[in-house]
Amino acid sequence: MSNNNTRSHRAHKVIERMGKKLNRQMVGSLVACVHCGMCTDSCHYVLTNPGDPTYAPAYKADQIRKFFKRHYDWTGRVLPWWVKARSLYTDEDLEQLKDTVFGKCTNCRRCTVNCPMGVDYPTVNRMARGLLVSVGIMPEGVAVVSKDQWEIGNQMGVLKEDYLETLEWLSEELEGELEDPAAVIPIDKMDADVVYSINPREVKYDPRTISDAAKIFYSAGENWTMPSEGWDMTNFGLFSGDDDLGGAVARRLYDKVEELRGKKLVISECGHGYRSTRCEGQNWGKVDVGFEMESSVVTMLRYIKEGKIKVDKSRNTQPVTFHDSCNNARSCGMTEEPRELLSLVTTDFREMYPNRAENYCCTGGGGAMSMSEYTPRRLKSAKVKADQLAATGATVVVTSCHNCVDGLGDLIKHYKLNMQVTQLVNLVANALVVEKKLAVAVPVMPTEAAAPLAGVTILVADDEPDFVTFASTVLEDNGATVLKAYNGNEAFAIAHSGKPDLITLDISMPGKSGTEVFEELRNDPALKAIPVCIITGKPELRKLIYERAVLPPEGYIDKPASEEALLLNVRRILDHVHHRTSA
Amino acid sequence: MSQFDVGGWAIEVDEDGFIQEPEKWNEQVAQALAKTEGVELMSERHWKLVNYLRDYYAKFGIAPMIRKLCKETGFSLKEVYELFPSGPAKGACKVAGLAKPTGCV
Repeated sequence: MSNNNTRSHRAHKVIERMGKKLNRQMVGSLVACVHCGMCTDSCHYVLTNPGDPTYAPAYKADQIRKFFKRHYDWTGRVLPWWVKARSLYTDEDLEQLKDTVFGKCTNCRRCTVNCPMGVDYPTVNRMARGLLVSVGIMPEGVAVVSKDQWEIGNQMGVLKEDYLETLEWLSEELEGELEDPAAVIPIDKMDADVVYSINPREVKYDPRTISDAAKIFYSAGENWTMPSEGWDMTNFGLFSGDDDLGGAVARRLYDKVEELRGKKLVISECGHGYRSTRCEGQNWGKVDVGFEMESSVVTMLRYIKEGKIKVDKSRNTQPVTFHDSCNNARSCGMTEEPRELLSLVTTDFREMYPNRAENYCCTGGGGAMSMSEYTPRRLKSAKVKADQLAATGATVVVTSCHNCVDGLGDLIKHYKLNMQVTQLVNLVANALVVEKKLAVAVPVMPTEAAAPLAGVTILVADDEPDFVTFASTVLEDNGATVLKAYNGNEAFAIAHSGKPDLITLDISMPGKSGTEVFEELRNDPALKAIPVCIITGKPELRKLIYERAVLPPEGYIDKPASEEALLLNVRRILDHVHHRTSA
Repeated sequence: MSQFDVGGWAIEVDEDGFIQEPEKWNEQVAQALAKTEGVELMSERHWKLVNYLRDYYAKFGIAPMIRKLCKETGFSLKEVYELFPSGPAKGACKVAGLAKPTGCV
């Protein structure tokens, strides 16, 4: 590699790491372009910015090609001026690249449809995103969401107990609505025929799609379940180009389905989630799974065709049109199933042109909805979609992707169209003729019932990451749900939000110390009943706790703590508390 | 960054219309933002929801789950969507002066 002295560390890393990403598909797309211009008019950015060549797919790809050629292709090494090869030198160069790969392309892949050379620019674009992410250059929204998905296990930072409580609430409402105690959402049921995975937005902000799906599964008499973990089928790895994240997220789902011995993983209506989980995840995660995967669109269609559910299409009479999600239609080939389903549950369907694999992007794809800095560009480019929607004369646009729901929702508002966005699950549920006796009563079975700490939530607060890992591994192996805090302020906040059954608390922590946290916990009416086990490497600090004018902690453990000591104390405290409250 | 006219004075908002200067939030701002989200006039019920969101956000730095919101305010899911047609994430959170929710929303 030349010019190392004048190249920034990040630029150097980007170039170096590119070498590891170059498989045959990638190199094919990098070398095959003949700049014929066939792709130009296929891009919604080009159509709305006719005077600006920097939006043309071939131009955008050239920004990546030029440093590929300079370093990895013999033409650029020998005749750089001839093939317009140019290296990357500064962080400024990388920022410019970021503006192109994140801000001027939604990875919708429409430009690939008419390419005579078979170039797949968005695949190269995604690779470049991944290289930038690997050196920390990305839009803030992408960073935040990726972090939550790495660390909390889902892209909106939904905690396990909140997720479970929400499902319980939906179960209660469903039971009431259908007047049948069997109409519930089974959690972690073993050997289910269908394991249903969702997008966190459904559970966090709009659980109506979950209720609708539950109603459909119930009516079909399906042996189904929702997993307590590994339920987020969205995958920011697809957007950020980070294959490691993509693999880790996909494996979480696969592992859970295998643990539950589920027969089929059904993925709710989300385009990028479907593509990531069903089509890409096994490659990223370097695993092969032994169960089937299916879009819920296919599941619902199957139920109607097999006579498992009955629908009355006269309940959906508004004129509807269908928007194809790029990931479902172009990347995964799902174009006919949603239309067939629509013909069964609506009375006035109007096709949109162009459609299927040639449909235009919703303009919010590729993670664009979480990159606010590019919103004005996104809305400008949405003019193409707005015109396309308006021409259908429909008042409802249906789509099988949450990202499209938001992208379309934004442009409908911006261009003041008289339209609503909805999903197939809502229309099917609305048309559903519920026959209550179909369902078999399904008991909710917690997993690992034999584990001594099953159903118990424990907050581990300690500033030493090693200790948190050790304690949470031991506790989780015994069935507990563990919440983690690495300083005093966090401990107090999580105690509030997570309502644990027990807190293990370190005394010396940065910021608010363990003693202060302890006192605050004891003085808080909502939290004072939570038992606390003090864990410290300095037993002499215990007196700091005794000096406080509050009830003493329920237990102490000295560090270094053994696995046995930790378990024994935790179980003793919980038994004691249980005894106290039931007495 | 752009400016949002509150009626006589302006406040900084991001490209999606979420306010960037939370310390300048007041009832007048909320009312003006509400209009952009299809709420012509903030009723007592709107305020109840908005105030809950603000309290929760001040404590935890994150928007609450819809479950918590319904439980604590007593509104049903349907009522929340009637109050804020664009939903709790984009509608109610924006009016309450919260940062834009992260992720697929």
